[in-house]
Amino acid sequence: RYVRQLQRLQLLFSPTAGDARGARQFVEEAALDFARQHPDVVLYISPRFGPAPLLLAEYLNGTVREELIANKTSEEIIQLATKLAGQSGLDIIRIRKPFHTDNPSVQGQWHPLTNKPSALTIRGPRLQPQ
Amino acid sequence: MDLTLRPAANFRFRGGVIAMAAAVTGLRRRAAAFLLSSAVRHQSSQSTSLQQGLVAKTSLTSPPWPEVKLPDPVEEAKYHAEVVQKVNKMIATGQYGRLFAVVHFASKQWKITGEDLIMMDNVLEAECGDRIRMEKVLLVGADDFTLIGRPLLGKDLVRVEATVIEKTESWPKFNMRFWKRHNYQRKKIIVNPQTVLRINTIEIFPCLS
Repeated sequence: RYVRQLQRLQLLFSPTAGDARGARQFVEEAALDFARQHPDVVLYISPRFGPAPLLLAEYLNGTVREELIANKTSEEIIQLATKLAGQSGLDIIRIRKPFHTDNPSVQGQWHPLTNKPSALTIRGPRLQPQ
Repeated sequence: MDLTLRPAANFRFRGGVIAMAAAVTGLRRRAAAFLLSSAVRHQSSQSTSLQQGLVAKTSLTSPPWPEVKLPDPVEEAKYHAEVVQKVNKMIATGQYGRLFAVVHFASKQWKITGEDLIMMDNVLEAECGDRIRMEKVLLVGADDFTLIGRPLLGKDLVRVEATVIEKTESWPKFNMRFWKRHNYQRKKIIVNPQTVLRINTIEIFPCLS
């Protein structure tokens, strides 16, 4: 019942630029393995004569993350790609609590009157002793 | 009053002076005799006061904490067995609603129910989408009963399953070191790998004893 949050990975690189060497090696060697290991991620490879090589990651909730892969070896790109594949599309900001529940209390939330005897059984100075 | 004439003095001064030993033993016997007589006197005084009425109740006659009467162990054992049988029957018939558990995981204790998220600041060796069974369950509870482990519950009693959802990195934290008037500052960005788990189910099986 696990759905991977990564929708597609777009690899934009230029076939001549020097800083896209790692990207080209990744495309030649490791792209097929990566695609087979992650069958639910679509991998687009588009060579273009543009600026620096980019790795675009789109997630199911619409967030798009761009990562520069200029001057990176193909192993680093593999690691980056696996990391992006494991992430979900939520933005990476400070999270206040490391847990989240929809049902925080099962036996009833504690309030100061739990585990105290009720007023009917207490004999006080004002209540009439029965 | 527990009075035992201790011949230990003899043993202690075995290699020593015998006259000393004799004197000490004599002293002890006399002291014991004195104590005996004082006890007798005390008992006699007690009996007379008992004949008269209760001993005077001061603030120090009884300890300040309330006196607790422990129940009979045989009765208690029967009661325990009854309760265990009842809880077992309840579990077997499935009369519990939501279950919560206290689980020790990643050096922290979490209180978890079904379908809730947990995040830890480390790397698990399971891939995204793997189902994980958590052992080290300390406590399991439902609406009417709780099962407390000492300190852990048995593996044949509870089953907690979770799935690895996400393996991300934390937000970039700044680690800065600065000494004033020394022209020293270092800035470092720390990014921790994190894992997000979702608790799928908590199940209990009726094998109490």
